[in-house]
Amino acid sequence: MSPIQTSEYIHELTLRECIQCGKCTGGCPVSLKTSLNIRRLIYESLISDTVSPESHEELWDCTTCKTCTLRCPKGVDPCGLIVTLRGALVESGRIPSTVRDALKSITVRGNPLNMPPQDRTLWTEGLDIKYILEEEAEVLFFPCCMGAYDPRVQKVARSLVKVFQEAGVDFGILGEDEICCAHEARRLGEKELFEGTVEQYQEIFSEVKAEKLVALSPHCFNAFKNEYGELPFQVLHYTQFLADLIKQGKLKPVREIPKKVTYHDPCYLGKQNKIFDEPRFVLQSIPGLELVEMERCREWSLCCEGGGGRMWAEGTNIEVRLSHERVREALETGAEILAVACPFCMAMLEDAVKTLGLEEKLKVLDIAELVAMSLG
Amino acid sequence: MEKKPAALVIGAGIAGIQAALDIANAGFPVYLVEKEPSIGGHMAQLDKTFPTLDCSACILTPRMVEVARNPNITLITLAEVTSVEGEAGNFKVRIRRRPRYVDETKCTACGDCAKECPVLVPNEFDMELGMRHATYIPFPQAVPNKYVIDKRGVAPCKDACPAHIDVQGYVTLIARGKIKEALALIYKSVPFPGVLGRVCPHPCEEACNRGQVDQPVSICLLKRFAADYVRERGLWEEVLEIIRKTHIPPRDGIPEKNSVGIVGAGPAGLSAAYFLALWGYKVTVYDALPVAGGMMAVGIPEYRLPRDVLNEEIERIKSLGVEIKLNTRVGPDGIPLEELRQKHDAVLLALGAHKGLKLNIPGEELEGVFPGVEFIRKANLGQPVKVGEKVVVIGGGNVAIDASRIARRLGAKKVTILYRRSRAEMPASPWEVADAEEEGVEIQFLVAPTRILGENGRVTGVECIRMQLGEPDASGRRRPIPIEGSEFVVEADTVIPAIGQAVEAEGLGIEVTRGGTLNFNPLTMETGIPGVFAAGDAATGPATVVEAIAQGKKAAMAIDLYLRGEKVEVPEPSWHVVSLEEVKSQFRSFPLDRRASPKPRHEVEKLPPEERISGFSEVELGFEEEKAIAEAERCLNCAVCCLCMECVRACQAKAINHSMPEQTFELEVGAIIVATGYDQFDARRKPELGYGRYPNVLSGLEFERLVSASGPTKGKVKINGKVPKEVVFIKCVGSRDKTVGHPYCSRVCCMYTAKQAHLIREKVPDAKVTVFYMDVRAFGKGFEEFYDRVREEGVVYRRGMVSEIYKRGDKLVVRAEDTLLGRPVEVEADLVVLATGLEPRSDSGKLAEILGIEKSEEGFFAEAQRELYPVESSRPGIFLAGCAQGPKDIPDAVAHAKAAAAAALVLLTKQTEGRR
Repeated sequence: MSPIQTSEYIHELTLRECIQCGKCTGGCPVSLKTSLNIRRLIYESLISDTVSPESHEELWDCTTCKTCTLRCPKGVDPCGLIVTLRGALVESGRIPSTVRDALKSITVRGNPLNMPPQDRTLWTEGLDIKYILEEEAEVLFFPCCMGAYDPRVQKVARSLVKVFQEAGVDFGILGEDEICCAHEARRLGEKELFEGTVEQYQEIFSEVKAEKLVALSPHCFNAFKNEYGELPFQVLHYTQFLADLIKQGKLKPVREIPKKVTYHDPCYLGKQNKIFDEPRFVLQSIPGLELVEMERCREWSLCCEGGGGRMWAEGTNIEVRLSHERVREALETGAEILAVACPFCMAMLEDAVKTLGLEEKLKVLDIAELVAMSLG
Repeated sequence: MEKKPAALVIGAGIAGIQAALDIANAGFPVYLVEKEPSIGGHMAQLDKTFPTLDCSACILTPRMVEVARNPNITLITLAEVTSVEGEAGNFKVRIRRRPRYVDETKCTACGDCAKECPVLVPNEFDMELGMRHATYIPFPQAVPNKYVIDKRGVAPCKDACPAHIDVQGYVTLIARGKIKEALALIYKSVPFPGVLGRVCPHPCEEACNRGQVDQPVSICLLKRFAADYVRERGLWEEVLEIIRKTHIPPRDGIPEKNSVGIVGAGPAGLSAAYFLALWGYKVTVYDALPVAGGMMAVGIPEYRLPRDVLNEEIERIKSLGVEIKLNTRVGPDGIPLEELRQKHDAVLLALGAHKGLKLNIPGEELEGVFPGVEFIRKANLGQPVKVGEKVVVIGGGNVAIDASRIARRLGAKKVTILYRRSRAEMPASPWEVADAEEEGVEIQFLVAPTRILGENGRVTGVECIRMQLGEPDASGRRRPIPIEGSEFVVEADTVIPAIGQAVEAEGLGIEVTRGGTLNFNPLTMETGIPGVFAAGDAATGPATVVEAIAQGKKAAMAIDLYLRGEKVEVPEPSWHVVSLEEVKSQFRSFPLDRRASPKPRHEVEKLPPEERISGFSEVELGFEEEKAIAEAERCLNCAVCCLCMECVRACQAKAINHSMPEQTFELEVGAIIVATGYDQFDARRKPELGYGRYPNVLSGLEFERLVSASGPTKGKVKINGKVPKEVVFIKCVGSRDKTVGHPYCSRVCCMYTAKQAHLIREKVPDAKVTVFYMDVRAFGKGFEEFYDRVREEGVVYRRGMVSEIYKRGDKLVVRAEDTLLGRPVEVEADLVVLATGLEPRSDSGKLAEILGIEKSEEGFFAEAQRELYPVESSRPGIFLAGCAQGPKDIPDAVAHAKAAAAAALVLLTKQTEGRR
């Protein structure tokens, strides 16, 4: 492939504002373990007419947690540079085979997991859920491809349905009309696939008369909230929705869960959308539950390495995993349960607990599951 | 000689001081207006100056003193400009000056007041690293060298108390172990602390801001503690001396006609007597009962209020010269009111409400029916009362509860209260209800009596009907509605209706209201007859002891005004009540951390129920001293100054005036110089740096106070008592940062960081010092040399901006990329100092509006033209000096101020010549 012209993106990403202070790389969760140095990538773009992304294998290390962009004092978007350079790689087809398969699966099957589209609603078996395109409902529940297909996250989706039903929420799903929101595809550099998906959804959503979209995953939530343009309903993450239900007295966790619980802030919920308090509020409304914090919580939260398409891109230096470090931090608090609010965090952290052989000491549970356990 | 035109300088930091001195030394009058209690600004907070490393206070203080001594300078502290009219050469400026509460002409700055002040709050001058009193001087070299009292309004406890006791004051005095002083302060407002400490429904605790944090301060029991402490130790004479000297001194000019007759020796009458006697009036109190105390003696059972407590408090009032004539009825069957009116120069009717209301149902005349108040009165007077085995009490107020608990103590086996509404509507205090239930009293809700049944003239039971609740009535409580056909019978041999009390108001010759009370004017406390006043239950209808006391005090004030021949008016005070939100924002640190003990409310013990019903011993036990002090330490000091008057007692110069008013006045000036300085960037806006989360992450100014010899640690560099061995400085915090709206460089941080790094090396020679920087801007004379020097001293400069700080073990971890190494690094630290930048004053927008001048994009005041008109504002005649125009170091600020002074002098000189 021919190298990419820096003039194509330098202005859009306001890279010329960069003063090379390194705050981006300094806070980057993967920079300590791989050769990814976003500050240097910006520098290369600033001093060269062209860059060759294929020489930067570490581009696939980025989790798009966006800490770099959020902390940049000059308003530069370093994370955007990674996605742009990945885009050039996608265009030229020089991408890891796992990424290629995932992107192809989204295009062909509407999910990145290579699962048949007609199996999309198997998770709802035995649950009486409205199909929202046929029956109106106040809330459109979006379970994410993970909630629809991944056996572990299916449990989270089912828990959430149980909670909604207990609280008398009028909700429905898109059923087999549901496809991947393409949030991760966009982060893998597949901009066109994302834009196509947005168009498809705009058509689907125009037929939905819901007041709210409640997303199970912070990633889908971020896509619909910030990247889909104007939508005809309010977009909420489920932790926000549950917090509201509890405040309104419609949902009341009653059964005691006398456990020490620590909560891991997902990057796309916490850092990027500043939703720090609602998940904690929901946890604290469970009787008996004692919430303890890891030192790195809220704005300091350590990425689990599951975002930015990393579910389908191994990245370099796989011997060191941030999810392992995170699980150790959770153990240090004395917690017996590590609560999560994101399917990717669930996958990464549960995997880490298993790999480290800590299943006896620490359970990874989604907040939705804890709330469901606490119902009368 | 003609009067010369004056200049106004707003803000008295180093720039304002310099400008004021230059203009004054040129022979023109200057008004120097400063918002804070002292001049000096931020420079006074600095330890050393840059680059000479002079002691900041040492070079600033002489200049401050010059200001104080210069006859051409009028220094106006605690003041702000509220409006500016006119034009260059002829401005009219309105100034609002907050009260200092200390007379500057009398204060000698001896500090006796602060030594006695019980309130401790974070000290702003020390960046809240240390504490100060409510009465304070910001720093030892302050100019004017005068104390100031920090008042934020009225605490909600005092506001909620009907008698407006200085609750925060006595609670805080108890916290400092000043129990006598606490009791004297209570006595400033009420003469029955021991009574109130036991029976008051304490609306103060409901209002207490601490209640929103966890539980309210146990105010009522603290009052009881102070009263018991003094009583048990026999310290009354000492307390009385404080009351007489400080709180209720004899009044000057008591008229010759000074005899007051008071009818009723209850809480209202005796309170009025107490105040009048202390002021210097002759008081005689008449009461029909054989004992003094009114309802306190005959309406409240002994197990709630031991008689010796009450009697001692009455004796104290008598000892002030108050004569109490018992067994002396006034009105029908007694001394006619007219006779009393002749005998005394003023009369107060405080008869109380001692008549029990009737149920108005058949059977009330039967033997075994006693109205509640009469039943309790008899029991209290030791008169024989016979209760049967099955007692029914009717009503839901405190009298009903008291009657039921007395009945239990008199031997009733089964006591049942019938109340026609539900528990939620009960007017009785919930804790009294709980006590009664513990003692075996049963309460039946939503039940009303329809008939008292009897045989042979004796009670045998009560026929009742069940009720349900309908819509709310006038009292706001849901109206009970009978359920037809639900009648049933409760067996009883004694029935005690306790549904309310009435005044025996007839026959006095005073107009009686429809509600049966004496008709009086609550603003003047006067009845229809001149010189005859009314107060307490007789005037207001049945109320609480503390309300009666408040009434008594108001009546005393009215009578004083009346006898002096002045206009009689005693309105309720109107004042600003401090909310919890305000308490939280008064200081940067959350109040629980620094202002009050974080402990939950302390509880007291009670007698076990079995023991209680065997006699009339007091049920609730008081606080022990240690517990009382710990409980008092929970007070948040909402109003900061707690009005304890300890400063007044301590000040020999008599300089303190707690009722000093705010002043507004107008100044005429020819030129105005704005030198309002800057605010330090609030680093909490960069949460990833952990400021506000970790106590060992400090801002630049905090570090100045930490190393300053006059600072909270006396210059010892210690964090949590430990000397830091690894110190990291972080530059550009809140500067060159678009995300916080500060794209500009703050100009001073590079060099103050170099200076601070040097100070650490000097004070902790073995410390490892790292500076994380982006650029080093060393542009001034001697700056680059200083930068060389600190590196020579071993300070390590690493190029890279810190991305985050968090804790690992007991160390802070500073994460950054060392951009010269090209790799991320983690540096451990015991202390992190943020080079916090400079930002416009938070109120600069308001001031710009008042002055009619423009601000530049960054929010600092805009100069007329950047290169050639650096001190002129956008409005002719108004000039800018120092950091108000943009970040500057001290030499630049001084130079800028001198330029502003010169520009102002040009205008003033022209004006003078024009006049000639």
